[in-house]
Amino acid sequence: MSAPFLLILRIGMTLSLYIFMGWAFLLLWRNFKTQSELLTSRKTPPITITYSGLDKKQKTKHFRTPEITLGRDPHSEIHLENETVSAHHARLSYHHGQWWLEDLNSKNGTTLNGEKLKTPTIILGNDEIRCGKMPLTIYLSTTDLSANTQAL
Amino acid sequence: MDISSKKHLFPFSTLFLGLYSLILSLSPALRARSWDVDYLYAHWLGFFTWLFLNWLAEKHLDAKIPDRDPYLFPLASLFSGWGLLTIWRLLPNFGLRQSLWLALSVTVMLLGLRWRKIFITLRRYKYILLSSGLLLTALTLIFGANPLDIEPRLWFNFGGIYLQPSELLKLLLVIYLSAYLADRVPIRNKFFPLIFPTLFLGGIALLLLVVQRDLGTASILVMLYASILYIATGRKRVLLGNAIILLAIGFFGYHFSQTIHTRLAIWLSPWDDPSGFGYQIIQSLMAIANGGLWGRGAGIGSPLFVPVAHSDFIFTAIAEETGLAGTLGLLTLFGIFLSRSMIIALRAPNRFQRILASGLTAYLGIQSLLIIGGNLRLLPLTGVTLPFISYGGSSLLTSYLALLLLLKISNESEGSTPPPFLWSTRPYHLLTAILLIGLITSALLNGWWAVVRGPDLLTRSDNPRRAQADFYVPRGNILDRNNAEINITTGESGNYLREYLYPELSSVVGYTNSVYGQAGIESSLDGYLRGLDGNPATLVWWNNLLYGQPPNGLNLRLSLDIGLQEDVDERLSKHKGAVVLVNAESGEILVMASHPTFDANEFDDSLLNEEDSPLLNRATQGRYPLHQTLDTLFDAPPVQIRLPFAESEEGFVSPLEMAMVAAALSNEGISPAPRLALAVDTSQSGWVILPALGETASLFSAADAEQLIATFSSDEEAYWQILSTQEDEENLTWLLAGTPANWSGTPLALAILLEENNPVLAEEIAQALLSSAP
Repeated sequence: MSAPFLLILRIGMTLSLYIFMGWAFLLLWRNFKTQSELLTSRKTPPITITYSGLDKKQKTKHFRTPEITLGRDPHSEIHLENETVSAHHARLSYHHGQWWLEDLNSKNGTTLNGEKLKTPTIILGNDEIRCGKMPLTIYLSTTDLSANTQAL
Repeated sequence: MDISSKKHLFPFSTLFLGLYSLILSLSPALRARSWDVDYLYAHWLGFFTWLFLNWLAEKHLDAKIPDRDPYLFPLASLFSGWGLLTIWRLLPNFGLRQSLWLALSVTVMLLGLRWRKIFITLRRYKYILLSSGLLLTALTLIFGANPLDIEPRLWFNFGGIYLQPSELLKLLLVIYLSAYLADRVPIRNKFFPLIFPTLFLGGIALLLLVVQRDLGTASILVMLYASILYIATGRKRVLLGNAIILLAIGFFGYHFSQTIHTRLAIWLSPWDDPSGFGYQIIQSLMAIANGGLWGRGAGIGSPLFVPVAHSDFIFTAIAEETGLAGTLGLLTLFGIFLSRSMIIALRAPNRFQRILASGLTAYLGIQSLLIIGGNLRLLPLTGVTLPFISYGGSSLLTSYLALLLLLKISNESEGSTPPPFLWSTRPYHLLTAILLIGLITSALLNGWWAVVRGPDLLTRSDNPRRAQADFYVPRGNILDRNNAEINITTGESGNYLREYLYPELSSVVGYTNSVYGQAGIESSLDGYLRGLDGNPATLVWWNNLLYGQPPNGLNLRLSLDIGLQEDVDERLSKHKGAVVLVNAESGEILVMASHPTFDANEFDDSLLNEEDSPLLNRATQGRYPLHQTLDTLFDAPPVQIRLPFAESEEGFVSPLEMAMVAAALSNEGISPAPRLALAVDTSQSGWVILPALGETASLFSAADAEQLIATFSSDEEAYWQILSTQEDEENLTWLLAGTPANWSGTPLALAILLEENNPVLAEEIAQALLSSAP
């Protein structure tokens, strides 16, 4: 009879749908695991920034977050009180194992070691940044950085 | 990202669709229960088209966008393959067209991969894009057509190829809104100046769709607009406002717009009008119920009973043929698809692409939920398509364009630039949660209709599958007490036919008809005749699993004696009335005649309206007044008994009831329970006696009964007889008769009713039946 044979085929069809689904879930799980492992291994290396604060005094700040905004906006991590600095002037961010500096379409531009910044650029230790007319100096913990770079 | 992983998914989707095609090919054999049939091959063209396009797309995608999300394309490809084969199964002509549309859609997607600056262009020309979409939609007001040549006319007809611009309009609106909001939101100025242009353009689009009566697309547009605005601004008020607007539209529409009122009324109470407005949705629920847990198998269900199964109701068709198991898989895969595209949105390299990706997710998610929910009566029905799956070129093309954009965004997010800063992840979480909750609710409701309510739905008389099963499963025969055939099944599987060998009994034994339903014994003992009762539960379950049909029906034996019956029918043939002859001791009905009668072999509409009511079984359903003489007979000394029904029925009785009174007189005052169906022939234990229809009742004392019939016995005949005629507007003749108390043979009792004043005929019949009594 055709019916039992077709029943086997029907069971096979439903099974293959569920294997497809199960496989998709397995891949998602693997993907999730590698992503989370990558994230735990990718700690942000500490960064130290020296700049002149509100009262014209030199200020030094340490960060362990992967994103730092610079600008005249009081909510910026580095609040630069100067008329040549835009509200959201520039951004420092850590990804792909490097610190990147990016200009946020500021009015007076950002320079890195004297050169005008056009695209997001990798920064190294002791680089000098200028937002408008405000200079900043960056120190990176090089040991952490190299360890991470190798890990990737 | 691991590109190799996605390669593992294709063998399984290929296997799944290959098995689907194989089952579909073999399905005619199962239907006919024989290998000697015409197998189906045409849909393999669809399968191989899908396979080739899949291979082609994979090759190009790997070359052009190797870093794309690895799940999106395999999922979309499974959806479109599943939809394509389902359409082939439903309507092969449409399957061929859909294969061509799939080829076109995949080609357009692959060509789109070469367009590097696609996002820059889309962002720059957002107004032109949306305006052209609006213009095209507006043009359908003038040049609109409909493939079925009815309203609404939402399509353009290019020599037989129909395009629906409102499908594209949804996509263009998403692009426009994302581009506009990505440019404006960071400035964060006041809310209403911000959204004013979008409100204006969105309003025009909405107005166009409302004028076009494309309410499904209109409601998607409203929800899509709110979702994108919420994603871009993060203001919850937007969602709240959207809900209020939709409810308000629903409320006012219910009271002032006929179209919306009808849609909502169907949704709220489809059972009020199951053959009219509620027909489509109730047929849809029955199809889902027929699918049950495991489904009927490709090509083996009957999804075509649901109107437009290939487009609006394709989810129902899938539910019937692959069951809850299949739809749960489908809904889960939709869930994975939507979650992945939301992840793409979060990882997108810039604000425009992020809003765009979430807008596309909302578009695909909302549209899927609207139509799946509509099929399941979770939501009012809106005639929109199920993305990737439903029949429709414009819909498929639009789905693939959305897929192209999502794939490209996912590929770019793996580049060097970090994803832009996110103010709050809440809008993304909330939107994803709403879509996933919608899918889960659909799955639960699907289970409710398929498993919990399924059995009830399938036994509804408007389930066309019951009548269809009658063509494939032999129904039990109905025999008389000497095994002479009365109603039998003839023909062979696929063409089984009910034949009524003794047509005069049509009003008594009844009929079963695919158009007119069932009556009489055919209706009251349908369970045995259909094989659902009397067979072992495992056999019923197994047959349902294999064929979706009950096992072979069981034969029934009635107490009627065709020899006696023929005699009575001949005498009664030109008259109106009823005759019931019973065995006074056992209650078995030997003769039950009702005239005028009809021939169930030649059923037609005219019978329903005939003045003489031939369909009525006068012996059991006819209610006649008792004459004064007959009524007071039992009330007069020395007996003084009132008939049990004389008071309750206000003196109206059926001939069968009077026959049982006569039986009590001939049986020492005890009225036996009447029996018409004696036994059923089960496969396991042979003939099994069926229970009687009522209970034995003691009506008179034996002495009273004896005294009463002694009054009415005559010298010429061996039996007693009460004859009562009355000449008034009713003009009825009643005759009760029976064997005397000390009768040595089979005790018989008889009731005759004639709808005319004709004591001669009544006496003739009584004599014919009783004088020859053994």
